[in-house]
Amino acid sequence: MRRLVAFALCAVLGVSPAWAQAGRDHFKVGVITSLSGDLATGGNVTKRGYDLWAKAVNEAGGIEVNGKRYPVKLYYADAQSEPSQGASGAERLATQEEVDFVLGPYSSGVTLAVAPVLEKYKIPMITGSAESPLIWRQRFAYTFGTIPPVNYTGSQPVGALAGLTPKPKTAIVLGSNDAFSKATAEAFKAAAEAHGIRVLKFNIVPSGQDLIPLLSAAKVLRPDVIAFGGHDEELINLVKALRQINYTPKALLMHYGVTEPAFVEALGKDAEEVFGASVWTPTLPTRGNLLWADARAYAEAAQKEYGVPADYTQAGCSAAGIAFQAAVARAGVTPPLDEGERRALRDALEALDIETFYGRIDFADQGEFYHANTGLEALTVQIQGGRPVIAAPAEFAETQPRYPMTPWNQRR
Amino acid sequence: MRRGDETEPGLRPRQLFTEVPVLWQLLPQAVLDGLLIGGVYITVALGFSLAFGVMHIIDFAVGEWIMLGAFLGYYLQRWTGLDPLALLPVVFAVFTAVGYVIQPVIHRAVSGRRGNPVLMGLVFTFGLMLAIRGAGLTVFGFFSHSIPSALSARSLFLEAGGLFVTVPAIRLFGFVYAIGITAVLHWVLRRTDFGLAVRALAQNRDAAGLMGINARRIGSWVYGIHVGVSAMTGVVIGSIFSISAQMGGDYTILAFFVVVLAGMGYLAGVPWAAFLLGLVQSLFLVYGNPSYTLLAVFAILYLILLVSPKGLFAKGV
Amino acid sequence: MQRSRALWAGIAAGVFAVIPLLTRDTFALRVVTEAMMWIGLAVAWDVLGGYTGYLNFGHGAFFGLGAYTTAVLMMRGHWPFALALVAGGVTAGAAAVVAGLPTLRLKGAYFAIATWALSRAVQQLALVLEFTGGPDGMRLPPFLNPMFFYYLMWALVTAIFVVLWILLERSAFGLKLQAIREDEEGAMALGLRPTAIKVQAFVLSTVPAGILGGVYAYWITFIDPASVLGDLVTDQSVVMAVFGGLGTLVGPAVGAVLIYAFKTFFWAYLSEYQVLYLIILGTVIALSVVFLPDGLIGLMARRRIKEPAEPEPADEDSQGLREVAP
Repeated sequence: MRRLVAFALCAVLGVSPAWAQAGRDHFKVGVITSLSGDLATGGNVTKRGYDLWAKAVNEAGGIEVNGKRYPVKLYYADAQSEPSQGASGAERLATQEEVDFVLGPYSSGVTLAVAPVLEKYKIPMITGSAESPLIWRQRFAYTFGTIPPVNYTGSQPVGALAGLTPKPKTAIVLGSNDAFSKATAEAFKAAAEAHGIRVLKFNIVPSGQDLIPLLSAAKVLRPDVIAFGGHDEELINLVKALRQINYTPKALLMHYGVTEPAFVEALGKDAEEVFGASVWTPTLPTRGNLLWADARAYAEAAQKEYGVPADYTQAGCSAAGIAFQAAVARAGVTPPLDEGERRALRDALEALDIETFYGRIDFADQGEFYHANTGLEALTVQIQGGRPVIAAPAEFAETQPRYPMTPWNQRR
Repeated sequence: MRRGDETEPGLRPRQLFTEVPVLWQLLPQAVLDGLLIGGVYITVALGFSLAFGVMHIIDFAVGEWIMLGAFLGYYLQRWTGLDPLALLPVVFAVFTAVGYVIQPVIHRAVSGRRGNPVLMGLVFTFGLMLAIRGAGLTVFGFFSHSIPSALSARSLFLEAGGLFVTVPAIRLFGFVYAIGITAVLHWVLRRTDFGLAVRALAQNRDAAGLMGINARRIGSWVYGIHVGVSAMTGVVIGSIFSISAQMGGDYTILAFFVVVLAGMGYLAGVPWAAFLLGLVQSLFLVYGNPSYTLLAVFAILYLILLVSPKGLFAKGV
Repeated sequence: MQRSRALWAGIAAGVFAVIPLLTRDTFALRVVTEAMMWIGLAVAWDVLGGYTGYLNFGHGAFFGLGAYTTAVLMMRGHWPFALALVAGGVTAGAAAVVAGLPTLRLKGAYFAIATWALSRAVQQLALVLEFTGGPDGMRLPPFLNPMFFYYLMWALVTAIFVVLWILLERSAFGLKLQAIREDEEGAMALGLRPTAIKVQAFVLSTVPAGILGGVYAYWITFIDPASVLGDLVTDQSVVMAVFGGLGTLVGPAVGAVLIYAFKTFFWAYLSEYQVLYLIILGTVIALSVVFLPDGLIGLMARRRIKEPAEPEPADEDSQGLREVAP
């Protein structure tokens, strides 16, 4: 039996691969994200984004540095939605695979456990999806993110709603009790108060809670706006609950998840006219110099690859790859990257300011958004005709926002 | 009394901020919502309670049966275009068969020379749960879906003497469905030979064997009915809420909760425990601090267990 | 018999002690550190679950309580880690007394579900309180010295193992627990005070969990209600103990190592097939219950012994161990 134990240990320990690192002609890119566990839905969206980038880069021959092209190879570490497994994954990618840089996790919790490990090994990481403001307050030197945090993006749609006629006067704001959703709800509330919309009710509720009693009570208050911070399943449940009690507010506002194809698929015509916050849609007018010429080209490639429309998380993840690509070229470093070259890469990321299919990427180098991408405009999107379209701000708007919302029972 | 879908009047704003009447006016709605929520929980827990009462299995996989049933309903609805609620018998039949086939394995896990059959059954179904969830994620993917029913778009507004309630039709259906299933099960157990055999088995396995009752066959049928009812409930849940391959865990928790509160294996207690759970949630959401809803729910379960260790009615096995 | 078992446990501890001298691979160290943590958790769970027959489905709550106590004292109270760690263990033990006195009156499935409800309530509490950081969790200052955590974990788990071994295998206390498991009324008739003994066992089972939680918090540098107060710790401890063999110390330890090794191997080198892992692990667990009712330890015993008609289970495993020894 002891031998069995020893054998089991060897299975874990013995397989440490000692690759010949010198003269490697490709970049080793770590991917830490949650492919299983509670966050697997989002995690797998990030994986699609990272995979699509790697495929496109390699089809073009690789990342171009000083006229020579180096392909990329992705090394996955499943964080299993657990911070500890994310940290283990980071350790493995850093020491066993000796990756050159890392594409990061889906949630803030995992990111907060992964970042210190990568700081220690001085490996730059860009996360394509973690949106909680918590990460950037820690001021990690090697951690960057392509999606601005929710307190940066959440206020835009509330401002846009406040500019509509008749102006909404009252709102109720609800948030699920997880880090991202709570931050979203708080951002909605702060923005509503700043724009003179009276918040009649502000509640943080346990994740997955059946909200129908709360909504029935809210219905009596007749709020003009219902704003909700939550995750995909909770958003679908909220719309269905409002449909069931037959209350149509003038505007229904959510954040991430509205742009996820599953939202429209699950709700059909009830998804119509729901507002959401985003930083990217397939129709956003952008011009990219690397891989994809604009948002539309990316959306087509994504549709072809996966058969479903791309949302902004997937796009942000592909853009994270592009940011590395640009920074590697700028730093002029070739694989394998040693510590000094990785530091140069980090500095190049901090100095980066590029236009991509995803929009502008410009990581903040100070302030509360330290190392988050503040090059983007926050967008207000609305589901129209079964897809998210940009409703505000005016310079990007594809269409007029439909407001007030068509009552549930008058929809065709 | 007025009723209708479209004619619902808004309350006049002046009424709104005189706090007391509004709170008072909310009560019927809050109670109704609580009962309707509880209605859904009844069938989540019913099969589980039956399986425990007869075979002493804590079925960790109950949520996964709900998930599988929900997805069968989802795909059947897409293929046939029928309302999912019309498909309930099909889902029931399919999963009763599944449960019937699986039960002998579970029986092996909890019988024979085993120190702790409760733990063995629990760990076995825990393994089953992991395997089913893994299979579900492989086949169905990660995204959430919804099973559209014609009823989910309808509601009833009732008003009388300053009191008013909105009754969502789909939830009313869930409620009626749950009461109906409970009644049918009750009838089967009380009025049929099969029911007599099940009750005999639940009371004394050895004596039942001596009386010529085929414990294995009956056990298979019981587990089959549990799986069938749970799966069917999955379809109803999919019409009211949303479904995903990861949904099972949440419903397993609910089933635990209701069954323990009712007294494990005490079927007649299930509806009351489910209503209590629904009402606690509803009243807490409306009149308490919503953040504390689940904390209150678990604290109440814990306290009730301490005061009355065999459930609300002290009739658990 | 006892000496042979102690010898092998000592050799295992020795092997774990020299691993860092053999490899510089910090990932390997991290994996073994976590494996040791799971050994500690599974063995501690077995004190109540296996020896006493009370299925604690709130094991994770005590782990989380230790983690949060350590984190809060370090971050809000500026305590040094060592003191905060001790406080984590003390808190878990104190919570076990408070929760155990009423809860241990419950039997079988009711005890299991009451402890589970309690752990859910603790998780909800951490989610709504201010000083725990709510859903945002807490970050601790990163002190990422693999050797430090390796040897800390090694020392703690060894100490846990030795203390439990002395108490459960070398003193009357272990027999008292088994007497309660087999026949609680009978034990009372013999003049034992089951309530006091059960509470002692509960404390003995939860203090290690609390201490390991404290180490986890400082080691991983981030805790939140989902990661340290979720179902994972409980579920995994139970499965490891059952898979290895209940009511022994070696069984859960072996179960912990094997399940963790399998999980980690799959995770590290077959990440693409993550969902498959759930299916395989689930099937293995279910089948092991059907075919190995006494866990791996039972398997060893059965295969090696030409067994007499109906061997006493406790003897069965220890004899098996002796037989395995070359």
